[in-house]
Amino acid sequence: MTTETLRVRAAEAAPVTGSALSEIGWVAYRSLLRVSRTPIVLFFSLMMPLMWLLLFSQTFGSVVGRGMALPGAAPLPYDFVAILLPGIATMTAIQSASQSGFGMVADIESGYMDKFFVSPMRRSSVLLGKLLADGLRIAVQSMLVLAIAWVMTLLVGWRIPFATGFFGALLLSVLVALFGVAFSGLSNTVALRTRSTEATMTASFALTFPLLFMSTAMLPAQALPGWVQSIAVVNSVSYLADASRALILTGYDWAAIGKALVAIAIVGALLNGWRSKRSARRAAKVTRRSPRPPARAGAVVAASILSPEDL
Amino acid sequence: MTAMPSASDPDAIIVVQNLVKTYAARGRASEEVKAVQDLSFTVRAGEFFGFLGPNGSGKSTTIKVITTLLQKTGGSVRVAGYDVDRDADAVRRVIGYTGQAVGVDGQLTARENLMLIGRFYHLHGAALRRQVDELLSVLQLTEAADRRAETFSGGMRRRLDLGAGLVHRPRVLFLDEPTTGLDPQTRNGVWEHLRRLHRSEGMTVFLTTQYMEEADQLCERLAIIDKGKIVAEGTPDSLKAEIGSDVVTVRLPRSENFEALRSDALAAVQKVPGVNEAKAFDGGVTVYAANAGATLLEILRVLEAERLTVQEVAISRPTLDEVFLKHTGRAMKIEEVKPLSRMPFGGRRRMN
Repeated sequence: MTTETLRVRAAEAAPVTGSALSEIGWVAYRSLLRVSRTPIVLFFSLMMPLMWLLLFSQTFGSVVGRGMALPGAAPLPYDFVAILLPGIATMTAIQSASQSGFGMVADIESGYMDKFFVSPMRRSSVLLGKLLADGLRIAVQSMLVLAIAWVMTLLVGWRIPFATGFFGALLLSVLVALFGVAFSGLSNTVALRTRSTEATMTASFALTFPLLFMSTAMLPAQALPGWVQSIAVVNSVSYLADASRALILTGYDWAAIGKALVAIAIVGALLNGWRSKRSARRAAKVTRRSPRPPARAGAVVAASILSPEDL
Repeated sequence: MTAMPSASDPDAIIVVQNLVKTYAARGRASEEVKAVQDLSFTVRAGEFFGFLGPNGSGKSTTIKVITTLLQKTGGSVRVAGYDVDRDADAVRRVIGYTGQAVGVDGQLTARENLMLIGRFYHLHGAALRRQVDELLSVLQLTEAADRRAETFSGGMRRRLDLGAGLVHRPRVLFLDEPTTGLDPQTRNGVWEHLRRLHRSEGMTVFLTTQYMEEADQLCERLAIIDKGKIVAEGTPDSLKAEIGSDVVTVRLPRSENFEALRSDALAAVQKVPGVNEAKAFDGGVTVYAANAGATLLEILRVLEAERLTVQEVAISRPTLDEVFLKHTGRAMKIEEVKPLSRMPFGGRRRMN
């Protein structure tokens, strides 16, 4: 085939308008395709949670089990790892969500973001597609953590009730993924403000542990010291952990699940609200460091489209 | 010499009138950086039009405003009859854009990259597949089509990026420094592709460049931009013709009173009959003469009469370098763009 066969089509591309859903789908498809190209990244993102699952729960299991059993009462019918499992799933979500901003920074630096923005695609589809992909990835990671724990119950006799079975595990993973998506707002904001993956990583690392330990993710409320309890009450992670723990230990606790959803909504609104205020300020007071061509213009679009009015 | 197209030209496809784009200097809200000041120009359908200027001259800002990536501060910009503010989506449908950074996804194959860009333009099915196959073939990427783009050479990535701007068969293709950072051989290859695409597709091409040679080789008409203003506009030949037919470069030896000697030399040569204009530059004086062969002797004679030593004399046909020098009073310095040192910036970006 030669150049000449590529004929002119002087007529404008017909103004086809694709649905928002298909746009979101294709953006998500791209993100997931990227994940599938480097599956090793997915594996490494599971390293920490698995380490906790396999090592931490075993090391501290006996101590915690003894400490939690009331004097004279029957020993707990399950292992410490059953208590810890929802916390580990949450950890997976927080970790993945913390990395959400990396991709954004990479796309801005590479110029890929401009490809989105010169196309007639809806601005909001770019973000929603990315969030959809993030959510799916987190749900899969959470399912993997749960599956490994389940395999351990079969192989080495871990006592984890899995009170709600497969569908409960699925619901747990959906909750965790929703939380991850809401929480990714923080990572995206840090990433866009600093445009540095290192800063994003440090910020998220610094947050992961306080968030987990100042909540009921690691231990139920009654086992926490008083001052931690009072922090855990306002920590959204607690509500997610309570609902998830019920799904593993006792059954569907719809009140807890409802509270978890409310907590997720508040986290999403707060993190996105903060961001949109920032981007609004940025928009009002346009800034630039030097009179050079706008090489990284994508950053600001990204900041602007991340505001909830587009969602 | 061709007449400048006016905004009302029926063939006009890009009409920019009194474009202004300012940024506030970071940390000093009261200070403004004028990236582009009162820019007006028109590009005709089917034309290969170039924007030539050094780094920071406002080329990229202009191209980003026209391609709806940046919001302008003032003026009016229309592409194919559509206003970039009011009909941004219509503008996006008729244009293709290839930015300074090669925005291809290295994790995806060449074919996947192009297919995905097609999806962003709501293309699908057999038509999209055929178009992608054709593009891969035209850009000589068929054999590498199913390899990940991260394994590509710089030239291949550039070609793929060019393809990404062409998937939806745009009427106007925008290229922001398409060969910056490429080695000369690869650069020639990209030029060849651009020429062929322009010729066979009859596509309007708007290109920015900091390379004189690139503008000279490719553009049918060009505007020279410096510090946010257009300083000259015309065909490469007409711009060069404006200089006069020849350029005589007189280099003076370095000495303590170099500047005084240079102004003496300047005054002397300006009086020579046949000299159109003379200008000082870092190393001496540049003399523009209708016929260098005839005036050279006289130039040397007056310099000798002034007891000025001449280090070197050179006669050249004018190039766009001389055009730039003439209009700005300085030689154009080329800086290669170093991706890591690019300054972040904040600007009002399009949200609709």
